Amino acid sequence: MNLQESGCFDPQYSMTHWHALMVMGGLPSPDGTTTQTHDILEDNLNLSSYNHHQLEEEDASTAVQMEIQQHHLLDTTTTNSHFIRPELSYEQSNWDAADHQSFNMLLSSSSPEAAYPPTPDLLNLFHLPPKCAFLPNSSISFKSDSASSVVCDPLFHLNLTPQPPVFRELLQSLPHGYTLPADEKELYHDGDNGILEFTRDISMAAHAKGRDKAGKTTKHFATERERRVHLNDKFQALRTMVPSPTKNDRASIVGDAIDYIKELLRTVRELKLVVEKKRCGQDRSKRLKTEETASAADAGDGGCKLLGLGDPDQCYNTCLRSSWLQRKSKNSEVDVRLIDDEVTIKLVQRKKINCLLFVSRLLDELQLDLHHVAGGNIGDYYSFLFNTKIYEGSSVYASAIANKLINVVDKQDAAAAPPTSSTCL
Amino acid sequence: MDMEFLTELNELAITDHQRLTGGRMGRRKLEDDDDNNNSKEFKSKNLQAERRRRQKLSDRLLTLRSLVPIITNMNKATIIDDAITYIQELQKTSQVLSEQLLEMEGSSEESVMPMKLEIAVAQHDMKKCGIKEEVKVSNIDGNKFLIKIIVEKKRGCFTQLIEAMNYLGFELSETNVTTFSGAMLFSSCVHGKYGDTLMVEHIEELLSEMMRSMKTSSQSAIELGNTN
Repeated sequence: MNLQESGCFDPQYSMTHWHALMVMGGLPSPDGTTTQTHDILEDNLNLSSYNHHQLEEEDASTAVQMEIQQHHLLDTTTTNSHFIRPELSYEQSNWDAADHQSFNMLLSSSSPEAAYPPTPDLLNLFHLPPKCAFLPNSSISFKSDSASSVVCDPLFHLNLTPQPPVFRELLQSLPHGYTLPADEKELYHDGDNGILEFTRDISMAAHAKGRDKAGKTTKHFATERERRVHLNDKFQALRTMVPSPTKNDRASIVGDAIDYIKELLRTVRELKLVVEKKRCGQDRSKRLKTEETASAADAGDGGCKLLGLGDPDQCYNTCLRSSWLQRKSKNSEVDVRLIDDEVTIKLVQRKKINCLLFVSRLLDELQLDLHHVAGGNIGDYYSFLFNTKIYEGSSVYASAIANKLINVVDKQDAAAAPPTSSTCL
Repeated sequence: MDMEFLTELNELAITDHQRLTGGRMGRRKLEDDDDNNNSKEFKSKNLQAERRRRQKLSDRLLTLRSLVPIITNMNKATIIDDAITYIQELQKTSQVLSEQLLEMEGSSEESVMPMKLEIAVAQHDMKKCGIKEEVKVSNIDGNKFLIKIIVEKKRGCFTQLIEAMNYLGFELSETNVTTFSGAMLFSSCVHGKYGDTLMVEHIEELLSEMMRSMKTSSQSAIELGNTN
């Protein structure tokens, strides 16, 4: 679709473009017969779409020129011709309020001889183009005052607004009973500034305000829906960040996020402590070594004593490190609580696999000294409680324990699942 | 007559009560003629629930807001955005710190307490308290046994015990392990997975055998440690 494909959309070009179309198509002939205009408009629209295909990158004015020439070819009523040129000259000027005012003044005089572009008349008569801009993909018939109904079909070729999806959505979301021509009458009823408002509306498509028969703001549906969709996406993104999300409703997503942030804060604090302890431990051992080598000649005792007292990092060693976290997976749940060097691990497992072996292996790996274990089979579940102590010098931390544990257990789950179904010992 | 009237009144009262306290389920039992009255009540009840739900959500959002050092505006969308970025930040920090820790581990000069020291301590403690190593098996019912083992506590002995249990085809239904004075007490209620019944004596023999092998393996480890 051209509207969306052409990334560079030149408002100036588009404005002039469709104004030209309007001019060409919708001029009321003096005798009041409008069927001709109908045909002309349709032809011109088709032509313009055809044109547009060819002229995507071309200059605005030349495009308009070409179209006008084509129109000339088709045109049977001579009255149209001299409307076009002034239209052209008008289009190429800037559309601002001042111009518009003068334009309106010109409107009041109905002499076709003057260089007054008939476009405003068109606007009042044909509600077609604005709506076409809004509805690039739908064909809607419009009734103008001069009782011509025009079907505007391939209007996306007009390349008018960069946000057609919004309006498509908007109009699709309109409740029944709200007819479009009625809408637009309301929309452009703000009098003389209709065109200008419309141009602004094109550019700020999503934020325009309009009112329909019932008094609700119809254009808000689009913004509101977009906003809601965006908000829902954000909630989902938040949910993906959390390691073990539970329910999928907003309150529990936020609740999970709160718990996770608290857990992360605890982990970071613990890690900092561990790193500090390790670092000062290393420093101390280094100092000890250097002291030893230095004081090898000396008695040795005095040096060590001094070292013990003057340790500047002592404060870190007196901090009690504490942390806890939980990890849940489909079939298991792990709860790790750590105070100083004691770790209490609770494991609840749904499936019936012999996880004790793997868990104890992992605990050995993590350099955790088992002091107490209690647990067993309770119905469908295996539940265990491990009281362990961290061996001196090991720098394991709570979240590592929890993560490794849940991984091991899940791996066993996965490994056990197919074999149990297929084994027949 | 009076009785009938009273009972009817009572019935009405009961049904009214049911409707009033029906909550969400009660709504489904609405009768048409009561629609006007009760629908209002139900609307208000639902409104209460809805209000509570919204209140809950907004409270939680407020808590989230308080946790996050917010940079931008204070509306729903931005608080969630900020929460996401904050979580990512914290995750990055923790990752950096753990990598740092790993590095330090690699270059660490402190080592964990050597095993031989542990074992020596354990043996000493056990002797002090007069605890002896023991294996005891008793049959509860058919294939179910109660196993009680006392061993010298050392690193990895629990794992070895579990491996032994596995090897013997036992499924542990209830396990309990305690350590005291350098000894580890393992007591477990097991039942044989494989169906063939083992005699108590057999089990005891096998387990004692395993414990002996455990001891020798640890001793060889100590020797290895000595040579290092």
